[in-house]
This record gives sequence, structure tokens and C-alpha cells, in this order.
Amino acid sequence: MPALPLHEAGRYVAGAYIVVFALVLIYVAIMAIRLSRMERQMQELLERSERPERPAQTPAEPLDVGRPDATRADATRAEATRPEATRPEATRPEATRPEATRPEATRA
Amino acid sequence: MLYGRGLRTLSVLTAATWAVALGLVFFYAPLEAEQGFLQKIFYVHVPLAIVSLCGFVLGGLFAIAHLRTRESRWDMRSYVAIHMSLILGVGVLITGSIWAKGSWGHWWVWDEPTLVSYLIVFLLYATYQPLRFSIEDPERRARYASVFAVTAGAFVPMNFLAVRLSSAYLHPRVLGGTSNLPGSMALTFGVSLVAVGLLFATLCKYEMTAKHARGQLRALRRRRTDELQRAGRFGF
Amino acid sequence: MRATVAAILRKEFLVELRTLESVPGMSLFAVSTFVVFHFALNQTSVSGAEAAGILWVTLLFAAILGVNRLFVADAEQGGFDGFLLAPVDRTALLAAKALALLGYLLAFELVAVPAFALLLLQPSLGGALPDLLAPIVLADIGVAAIGTLVAAMVVRTRARDLLGPLLTLPLLVPIVIGAARASAPLLAATHAGGSSGRWLGLLALYDLVFGLIAWAVFDFLLED
Repeated sequence: MPALPLHEAGRYVAGAYIVVFALVLIYVAIMAIRLSRMERQMQELLERSERPERPAQTPAEPLDVGRPDATRADATRAEATRPEATRPEATRPEATRPEATRPEATRA
Repeated sequence: MLYGRGLRTLSVLTAATWAVALGLVFFYAPLEAEQGFLQKIFYVHVPLAIVSLCGFVLGGLFAIAHLRTRESRWDMRSYVAIHMSLILGVGVLITGSIWAKGSWGHWWVWDEPTLVSYLIVFLLYATYQPLRFSIEDPERRARYASVFAVTAGAFVPMNFLAVRLSSAYLHPRVLGGTSNLPGSMALTFGVSLVAVGLLFATLCKYEMTAKHARGQLRALRRRRTDELQRAGRFGF
Repeated sequence: MRATVAAILRKEFLVELRTLESVPGMSLFAVSTFVVFHFALNQTSVSGAEAAGILWVTLLFAAILGVNRLFVADAEQGGFDGFLLAPVDRTALLAAKALALLGYLLAFELVAVPAFALLLLQPSLGGALPDLLAPIVLADIGVAAIGTLVAAMVVRTRARDLLGPLLTLPLLVPIVIGAARASAPLLAATHAGGSSGRWLGLLALYDLVFGLIAWAVFDFLLED
């Protein structure tokens, strides 16, 4: 088949590169959603730790059974808790430096 | 360990390489004789395919490490490698389809053996997530997923061999291969390959950092809940 | 090890003979599918590559039925636990189940292939039959190895009936390629010639690679 003229071929080439770009952008959007959810949960955690005498209720940990990500965390939880068990002080500086991590999040 | 370390450097490097690669593709690489401008899709389609296939095999290798050491971080690496390769795979199939449409007027061609075998591999790995999701016990889930990843990783080369054999004598390659590339095209292809590889690495690192952070967060919440429980602060 | 495999194999065949779960169902499915093909294609007979395609697709889907049922009894009635408690090499279960599946496949093909020749095949099968044995046996070995592995993987998951075929089909594509290409000249109207070695070679290589892989990873599936 003879080569397409430039203006037609250009559309296909542009389409292909746009698809790749769109895939990466969709991924960025998904990560943005996860990041904002994580920030919200961190905020909750911070508020709860600042008021220990209030009878706190367990946050209904959203049982997102429908989303594979929710159960995926179990695999990483095992990983996260193993070092936690041996180095408990590692988490405390993480939790008390939300200000240090937030500018990181906005810069990236 | 912290997965986010080095992520910033990696992403900057990826962006820079992509800028160079795209510049080379559109301003340096010569027009190909047969397909003209359409051939430029080659510089994104083939690297995506190569990197994602390597990603699938890498997922199998990580799975072997998981089965031998039983450390869940290997399982996470295996999962992320396969997950990202699947995402790149969507890109492979769509760009391949666009290329086919431009070359032959059809959105799909059975004559291109690598594209066909890639579809089969993609269909296989598309079952990875459903498999994981259908097992509740986390340890068993990781183990079964690793078994799958090893089997599927071995399947990738065998499948390409089989499909290549099945179409060798029937049709000439439609979309053109990577052999006999003139120097300037080879350079452009090489840089594009590196760019896609770095993109894959960055996305994987990004994903692993996010998963790890979420795991830490959950551990923290659970620990907080345990502490409150122990201190009897539940009010009932 | 051999004694264990023999014991389990004997149990498998005894159960199959008494319950007649797999083989009759697979045979009936194959014959029905041939009938459906007749109506779907609106042709009275096929030959050559088309015949090979119809034959192998039908055999493949019937085999998947057998694969689905392979470990169900063990999962539902505690067979896995019983096996794990026995002081035997765990891979013996893989070998025994794979051999059993191979037996079921060969058994139902004894019905399905003649049915195919009767219902749909235009040239007579007689001359080609000895040559046809090679691709059939080699393909069955591959299906047995992969089918057993996949069956063990999905039997204790939530969506086992869906995941089984979903996992098996892509993995068996190279076998379909090899078997169909090898059978096509044998089923052609002019009995073109012997099956080419390269397809049998592909089937053999595939069987070897996945037999080894199944052997290596099966243990990990049984560990609970």
C-alpha cells in the first residue's frame, strides 16, 4: 500500500503519541486521587492523636471489597508491619512531620 | 526501606530522555521510504512492546524471588511490574492498531505476528488481577499470584516462538521489523527505547512508593486503634 | 514416588468409572459442538485447515470442561488435606492428576475424533489416522500439564469456573497452533502428506517447558 500523504499520516502519528500521553496522564490522575485520600486519612489520624481523651470511634475502615487496591494493601501491610515491629520509632517521626511532607507533595 | 528515595531524580531523568527522544523522532530521524511519516509510530510502539514484555518477564523473576524468600516485598514488586506492563500493553495494542489502520486500512491485522502474540500475552496477564482478587487469604494470594507470574513469564517467549512460526511463510511482515535500521533510525530507536524503559521504571517506583506509604498509613491507623482500645477509650 | 502416583491414579480412574463425571460429558460436548458447527457454518463437510481448526477448537473447549472438574472433588471433600497429611512427595499429586487428565482426554477423543470424521469431515479419515495420533498425543500432553496446573491454581478461589477457562485459553494457544497446523495437511482432501516436523517439534518443546515449570511450581500451590 502506498504511503499515506503527510497530512493524513500526521493524524495517525499524533493519535498514537496522544494515546501514550493520555495513558500516563490517566495514571497521574489516579495517583492524585490516592494521594488526596491518603492526606485525608493522615489528617484524621493527626486529629485523633491530638485528642486522646475523646472516646474515639473506630473509623469505619471502608471495606472497598470492590476495588482490588483495598485488598492489595494486605500484602503490603505484612511488609509494612514487619519492619514496624522491630523499629517502632520509625513511624513516629513520619507521623509528626506532615508539614515536611506536604510541600514535597505539592512540589512533585 | 523507603521506596520514594531517588524517585525525583528518576522522573527528571525520564522527562529529559523523553524530550530528547521526541526531538530525535520528529526532527532527526529520516522519513522511511515505504511508509513515510506513518512509520514514526514505530518509535513509540515497539519500545512500549519491548519494555512491557521485559516487565512481564521481570514480574516472573520477582515472583521466583518471592517463592524462594517468602518476603512480601518481592510479591509487591512482581505485582507492580506486571500491573505497569499491562498498562503499557494497552498502549502497545492501541498504537499497533493505529499503525495497522494507517498502513492497511484495517484496525487489526492478523499478519503481524508480534502484534498477535502480544494480544495473547495481554489476554493472559489480564487475568492476573482477577486471580489475585479472588483469593482472600493474603499469604495464599501472594503465593498463587507468584506461581501464575512464573508460568506466564515462561509463556511469553514460547508464545512468540509459536506465533512467529505459524505465520512465517504466509505473509511478509506488515509493520516492519527492527532489523537493518540505518544509523540515524537506530539511534532514535535506541533513545526511544531508553525513554520508555525509564518511564516504566519511574511509574513502577511511583506505584511502589504509594503502596508502601498506604501500607504504613494502615499500620499506623491500626496501631492507633489498638492503643485507644488498650487505654479503654472507646466509651462503651 | 511412583507408588504414590500409581495409587492416586488408580483412585482417579476408579472414581471416574464409578461417577462418570468427566469423560462422558466431554464426549457429549464435543459431539454437540460438531452439530452446532454444522449449523453455524451451513456446510455439510469441511476439509484441510478448516477441518483442523474446527476439530481442535472443539477438543480444546471440551478439555477445558475436564480441567474445570479436575480438582473439585478434592477441594470440596477434603482431599487436599488428606493428601497433605500423607508423608509423600507433593509433586506426585501433579503427576497423577496430569496423567489422569491425559487419560480422560485420550478417552473422550476416542469418541470425538471418529464423530468428527463421521459428521463433518469430507475426506475419509482412515489413511491419516496413524499420522494424526502424533499431534493428538503431543497436544494432549501439553493440555494435561497446563490444565492440571491451572486447575490447581483456581480451584480454591472465588470465581473458579470463570478463571479456569480464562487462564487456560491463552496458555493453550501455542498448542492449538501446533496441533492445527500439524493436522491440516492430514485432513486435506488430497491427503497431502505427512505432518511437518516443525509443528510436532513446537508441541514437544512446549510440553517439555511447561511440564518442567508445572513440576517446579506445583508444590507452592499446595502449601496450606
